[in-house]
Amino acid sequence: MSGKQTLAGLDVQSAIEMHYRSEVRMLQNGQYREWLADMVAEDIHYWMPIYEQRLIRDRRPDPTPDDAAIYNDDYGELKQRVERLYTGTVWMEDPPSKIRYMVGNVEAFDAGDGEFEVYSNVVVYRNRRQLEVTVHTLGREDKLRRVGDGFQVFRRKLLIDARVTQDKNLYFFC
Amino acid sequence: MLGIPNLVDNVASNQSREIFWDKDVYNLELERIFARSWLFLGHESLLPKPGDFITTYMAEDKVILSHQQDGSFRAFINSCTHRGNQICHADSGNAKAFVCNYHGWVYGQDGSLVDVPLETRCYHGQLDKAKLGAKHIRVETYKGFIFGCGDADAPSLEEYLGEFRWYLDTIWEGAGGGLELLGPPMKSILACNWKVPAENFVGDGYHVGWTHAGALMQVGGELAGLAGNRADMPFEKLGFQFTTRHGHGFGVINNAAPAIHVKRDGWAKYLADTRAEVGRKFGPEREELYVGHWNCSLFPSCSFLYGTNTFKVWHPRGPHEIEVWTYTMVPRDADAETKSMIQREATRSFGTAGTLESDDGENMSSSTFVNRGTITRNGRISSSMGVGFEGPHPVFPGIVGSSFIGETSHRGFYRFWKEMLDAPDWKAVKANDDTWDSMFTNRNYWNDKVDAAE
Repeated sequence: MSGKQTLAGLDVQSAIEMHYRSEVRMLQNGQYREWLADMVAEDIHYWMPIYEQRLIRDRRPDPTPDDAAIYNDDYGELKQRVERLYTGTVWMEDPPSKIRYMVGNVEAFDAGDGEFEVYSNVVVYRNRRQLEVTVHTLGREDKLRRVGDGFQVFRRKLLIDARVTQDKNLYFFC
Repeated sequence: MLGIPNLVDNVASNQSREIFWDKDVYNLELERIFARSWLFLGHESLLPKPGDFITTYMAEDKVILSHQQDGSFRAFINSCTHRGNQICHADSGNAKAFVCNYHGWVYGQDGSLVDVPLETRCYHGQLDKAKLGAKHIRVETYKGFIFGCGDADAPSLEEYLGEFRWYLDTIWEGAGGGLELLGPPMKSILACNWKVPAENFVGDGYHVGWTHAGALMQVGGELAGLAGNRADMPFEKLGFQFTTRHGHGFGVINNAAPAIHVKRDGWAKYLADTRAEVGRKFGPEREELYVGHWNCSLFPSCSFLYGTNTFKVWHPRGPHEIEVWTYTMVPRDADAETKSMIQREATRSFGTAGTLESDDGENMSSSTFVNRGTITRNGRISSSMGVGFEGPHPVFPGIVGSSFIGETSHRGFYRFWKEMLDAPDWKAVKANDDTWDSMFTNRNYWNDKVDAAE
């Protein structure tokens, strides 16, 4: 994010926040197919890179999509992840677990041509079985484009804060 | 623990549930397995140049592994010999020296103490730095894979891998280029005993069709037929299981190396292009292994899937928790695009958000935590599938089971686990070298089977 970016304006900012709220609602309700169809563009790159702990003096570049990543998916690959959840044989999700998202600090910038760069913070609470609770915090860097009355995401970079994941898995969408 | 005489029963092929739960058992494992065995540290590809280093674990010990100026590798305990502070907090990098943050003691690439602040002024030149190097760890490499060992009396790494090298050479050398690892690793905490994933990878073909039914149906291809573990599958024609003297073992599914990979063109072509050379070097049996899919564990705590190419270390964190590190294995001489695609596919299926790996987490943790209950814990767990349908083989070294769905490799893993726990030292282990496989009593199984086939 550079100082040169142009804020998207309050109407767009608020439309994008509304968009994120519906997205969260869909994911919390398990409407993954609807989420993918309505809110994710077919040219999506959905990416959660792995950042190492490096000394400040280390001059190596940050990870690129050619490097190790927990998610590094195109649309078809995301669809595969979504469809797995509908097979009825994902035993860990039967009975289903709970997930709740707190999205904050949404900042939308106008990238021209009906496209927007949007930064946000995400806190994810997961509960499952009787007592299992896990928490994740992430930074999210999106590129959205206007589609009809709403938006679709076509770049999503998820920056997870913890080096060592304190959870059985990261099988959830953000 | 010492009140539990029969942790592993090699005759009845079962184990006490205490092996997943009891703290005294765990403490004995730290002493008699983890401080005595060769443990995976890394691969040359993770620290390719002089000065490159990584930090890692040997069980619960933090270790720095460093590429020396002469091309060799040295490892030492990541703790200052002054007041014990951790010396290095980076995952990797390049350094000629490592400086402890607390008082600034400086360690060389080999762990020797090379400088301390105010040495003349305040230590009055009386500090014997030669005796204050960070604790040294034995390091040996095999085909680029780097292992460390905390026991001076342990056999060499080659002897420790032993006859399992016959299998590893097939893939770690292959047509000549061999395999390397891609990092940085994923890392995650899982609330389970370290042996649950180790045994799952060493010999659990059985769970695949049930646990991973959903993912297999999505991936499609060769392994989709396993979904649901249908009784009409000719499992005995689909693969084998292997175990060896020091507990290493694997199961193989024939002709299925890249089966879990959806975008697999580069990897499949690499295998097709190189298999003839593997056959020429190693013979037709190993050419078959080269194009098969392996689920493998190197005793005690390193596992991989050859074909899918995920590579894991299960670092124990007490009896009820592990820290999982996950790398990707790729052929050294594959093109960059193929390596990157193998990494993406291996991660999508077996990374922290893996479409298959995510299925397993609860199996691992609940098999451990059910034993919180005393009545539960006083029971035993079974690994008797296929007992007697296994034995020494005229071609394959070690003990071979007749199907990749069986528990031959579990039996071999726990046989060696018991041997290590019972043995006061390596000498006592070596004394069993000639009789280790006597628990596999059907000595003519393979000769009879081969004769019957002819």
